[in-house]
Amino acid sequence: MPRSIWTGAISFGLVTVPIRLSSVVRRQGISFHQLHDHDGARIQHRRFCSAEDREVPREEIVRGYELEGGRYVTVTDEELERLDPDRTHTIDIERFVDLGGIDPVLYDSSYYAVPDGEIAAKPYELLRRAMAQSGRVGIGRVVIRTKEHLAALRPTGDLLTVSTMLFPDEVIPRDQVELPEARGEASDGELAMACRLVDSLSAEFEPESYRDSYREQILQLIECKARGEEVVVEPAAERAEPAPDLMAALEASIARARGGSGEDGLANGQGDRAGPASARA
Amino acid sequence: MSRTVEVEVEGRALRLSNLDKVLYPEPGFTKAQVIDYYTRVAPVLLPHLRGRPLTLKRYPNGVEGKYFYEKECPSHRPEWVSTARIPIRSDGRSVNFCLAEDLPTLVWTANLADLELHTSLARAAAITRPTMMVFDLDPGAPAAVLECARVALALRDLLAPLGVESWVKTSGSKGLQVYVPLNVETSYAQTKPFALAVAQLLERDHPELVVSRMRKDLREGKVFVDWSQNDEHKTTVCVYSLRAKAHPMVSTPLAWDEVEEALAAHEPGLLAFDWEAALARTEEHGDLFSEVLDREQTLPALARAG
Repeated sequence: MPRSIWTGAISFGLVTVPIRLSSVVRRQGISFHQLHDHDGARIQHRRFCSAEDREVPREEIVRGYELEGGRYVTVTDEELERLDPDRTHTIDIERFVDLGGIDPVLYDSSYYAVPDGEIAAKPYELLRRAMAQSGRVGIGRVVIRTKEHLAALRPTGDLLTVSTMLFPDEVIPRDQVELPEARGEASDGELAMACRLVDSLSAEFEPESYRDSYREQILQLIECKARGEEVVVEPAAERAEPAPDLMAALEASIARARGGSGEDGLANGQGDRAGPASARA
Repeated sequence: MSRTVEVEVEGRALRLSNLDKVLYPEPGFTKAQVIDYYTRVAPVLLPHLRGRPLTLKRYPNGVEGKYFYEKECPSHRPEWVSTARIPIRSDGRSVNFCLAEDLPTLVWTANLADLELHTSLARAAAITRPTMMVFDLDPGAPAAVLECARVALALRDLLAPLGVESWVKTSGSKGLQVYVPLNVETSYAQTKPFALAVAQLLERDHPELVVSRMRKDLREGKVFVDWSQNDEHKTTVCVYSLRAKAHPMVSTPLAWDEVEEALAAHEPGLLAFDWEAALARTEEHGDLFSEVLDREQTLPALARAG
């Protein structure tokens, strides 16, 4: 059972159905960590004050809204809370509309609505069946996490699904997208041919037949690299096999080569330095 | 406007694309200039690339964009590009590396925006036998190249009484790299512990200057003597390779005199060379690293301690 992210009620007319919303989406993205190219250590993000050039603890950070000319007004959490829309706990259904009448670009996120408690089960089922029979979608408003959304409530199998929707002013109008001018019109014959092509490719939509092949390729790449040699090893895993014996042997050899003169073996190399390149520069 | 030209290099036809693309935005250094640099430096560079598995480090959108390492030689390579299939683990998996054997291959990799050339310490024909031992001297701020110079000289003077001569180059980035040519029968099982012991000895004798452990937090104000690159599965930036820094700097061979002079003059600028300076030096000195290719040296059998 997925975690619910919102508890409240669907309300329409005089009926109120207590429900909980849970997320529909199970994100399958692959998350990468940022590492330093050089040593494979994890990259940390730290918050720095640009004036004091020091790291700032979370509690010293406030929200600022930029006015013109780099001036800011700050806004606190409390101030925002006081402005919160009050319909925090109901989805008020205002209209029932045809599903086909909704432009899919408006859909934002979807949530499963489940009846909250046994008492809610019966009115929930009643609402679901009525909507299924009428083929209609309920349109209302819901506030999720301080933002008010337009919402569509629709029957999907045994469940009601709530999809939040963009407000029309959040959508870039289509006439603001530039289209290149077409040279000449397509003939009827060309159109007929294009239609036949569409027909020949027509099928029922089977979402199960589509897979995220890009993600699969990335996973495959990761698997190969994990088996192969290009895995970046975090420096914690460094294997500095200690070689005290070898170090001592090396030192003894150097001392012997120097004739046991007892001088510092490293700081002074004037007498016997290797200078093959120096002879040529 | 992207420019594509067909060229013939030593009888091989090549299509060079996006030649005007700026790969180093700060100086406005373009892909055409990268290809030009590699073409001009090829006479001294190619001997150091030949026969060695090459790891490409490609910057298709320039040094400020994303880059990727490419070990597997791209499948769209021209058919005349030589490759070598190298087993990379005991489970039988292998990688088919590019071998930059000739000028056309070098021009082709440059055209792939392969700014940096990273090579194995061994040749493909004898992949478990390193032909050289390397120490990568990597400074932790505020230490910089002059601190590396002090460590490089100490390293040279440590190895000399053992009858082992060493050569030095800039990394083209922050540090220096010291190479010990071997070119005899040996193995990483021999070079890696030897390099570690050398690094530890340097650290013990110069604790204020040298660190031999990889942990970044130990490095502040010191020079990390990276011995761990003496490994079959590691690569080191090849001499004369460009580096993907703000400016097109080059991993440039140095004479030991120059290291001493830079240190005496306290002048870090004497230990950094961009592509122009690097080319001018090859005209003046030839290849200061040529002996790394063929000087035969055996790591000494060490005396018993105590």
